[in-house]
Amino acid sequence: MRTASRGLPLLAAALAIAYPWLVPNYYLVYAGALTVMYAAMATSWNLLGGFTGYVSLGHSAFFGLGAYGTGLLVTRLDVPWALALPVSALLVTVFAVGVGVAAVRVRGASFVIVSIALVSMMNLVVQGWRSLTGGSTGLQVPSPFPDLHRGQTHMVFFHLFLVLLGLALLSWWYVSRSRFGAGLRAIREDEDKAESLGVPTAAYKVAAFALSALFVALAGGLYALWFGSLDPIFMFSILIGSYMVLMSLLGGVRHLYGPLLGALIVAPAGEYFLIALGETQVHLAATGVLLILVVLFMPEGILSRLTRRRPGPSIPEESAGQRLEGAAR
Amino acid sequence: MTSLRTEGLTKSFGGVPAVHDATVELREGRINGLIGPNGSGKTTFFNLVTGMIRPDSGLVLYRGRDLTRHAPHRIAHAGIGRTFQLCRVFPRLTVLENMLVAVRRTRLRELLAGLHDRGEAERARHWLRRMGIEHLEHAEARDLSYGQQKLLELAAVLMAEPDLVLLDEPAGGVNPALIDRIVTLVRELNAEGRTFLVVEHNMDMVMGMCDHVIVFDRGAPIAAGPPSAIKEDPRVLEAYLGV
Repeated sequence: MRTASRGLPLLAAALAIAYPWLVPNYYLVYAGALTVMYAAMATSWNLLGGFTGYVSLGHSAFFGLGAYGTGLLVTRLDVPWALALPVSALLVTVFAVGVGVAAVRVRGASFVIVSIALVSMMNLVVQGWRSLTGGSTGLQVPSPFPDLHRGQTHMVFFHLFLVLLGLALLSWWYVSRSRFGAGLRAIREDEDKAESLGVPTAAYKVAAFALSALFVALAGGLYALWFGSLDPIFMFSILIGSYMVLMSLLGGVRHLYGPLLGALIVAPAGEYFLIALGETQVHLAATGVLLILVVLFMPEGILSRLTRRRPGPSIPEESAGQRLEGAAR
Repeated sequence: MTSLRTEGLTKSFGGVPAVHDATVELREGRINGLIGPNGSGKTTFFNLVTGMIRPDSGLVLYRGRDLTRHAPHRIAHAGIGRTFQLCRVFPRLTVLENMLVAVRRTRLRELLAGLHDRGEAERARHWLRRMGIEHLEHAEARDLSYGQQKLLELAAVLMAEPDLVLLDEPAGGVNPALIDRIVTLVRELNAEGRTFLVVEHNMDMVMGMCDHVIVFDRGAPIAAGPPSAIKEDPRVLEAYLGV
């Protein structure tokens, strides 16, 4: 069992690395890269949402800022792309700390609304700051690999996103087994109780918010270098944030591979709707319907359903005598 | 030596005073009872002392240190632990994880270290053993009976090493045998040097266990003294017992 639990992820990783050479055309490589990008973002989102239970619909703000930060550093300051990418992500992380200090003061629906307000504000700022960002006409970012044709670029970015996904998964796993992670899970279970036991909940939440933003910003930076054309309406779209939430919820927010599983279902489905029906709003409606169905019927996600415990209490009520006997030992 | 002292502590909700000008003093090493009719402000007083709600005015002093308006986690770090009226545990964490959450960590290296540090786990098991629930360490807290959850809640509070423990209705909803067990535990822990403030409606428990009893009515203390004196105090009889 232990061998299988270790072997399966390794086998899946090997298959993922080989994927671009296994598929028959570059379109499937492109779709694969997009899926892995969403998987990395959803896993990053889950660093906040899964551990603390704080649902952010506005994480696309960090995606957009990471993309624009990378793009602006490359185009305006001639910073090499390999440096621009982490610098931009770090700047976004610092920004996220500032936002987080204010945002995590509210809980539940109020936090969701604050997160939506954040992405809407960023959209307005980027569109309004025309001289710097290009406004609504967007920003063009030169390809870091000009000698490669489009298909080969998809292959490179597929693997770059795969590395990012690996880092996000590793971070989630590392946090999950740490004392910091236990504090975050305690916040999800009962924030006031955690605070009363000495957990500095505000600092923990801000740290999780910033860590989550870091990886999403890296995804945004890679996207900017990959696509080369940034449109503020898309980059700061609530839909991207909603995808992260949907993928995580569908797969299971309490599981390391939950958001990845959700991304493997939702991202290809979205691409299918686009190809089958063209540029209609059907994929948006399908996303909404799926989100409603997941929340109503499978709020714990697929992986929780598959690994569900037996119903009812598993530990019998002890008699007072047994309890006293235990206490006396 | 004074453990906790509140001076003129006042809190109103929507203009209705829940705690009004409450000046209370607890001495170190005592088991103190806090009694009063429903709605007399006992739990609000707990919430004010532990920082869960902020007072409109007044001071909370612990061992001479002003903790007024401090965040609850800072008050916990200062040495004040509490349980809740309705027992609260982390339902989807295991019993052992519930305990380990309560360990104070300040350094980044400590925060990122593995949860199940051998020394801390052993200390957690020590408390679980004293509560008689060490055999449940791998169970999720939601699978425990209410009585077992009460014991876990108390064990987790003790894991944070408080010197002053506030217990909000520890006998609420538990069977008589467990009440006896809780009384014994509180006495043992008190003998080890911990001070207690216990809100409780079970008068036999309060009068039998406590060294000192404070009576609240309409948000303010109206009497304080040893149980024998409190039982006879006409203000208490009028306000609390209605005679």
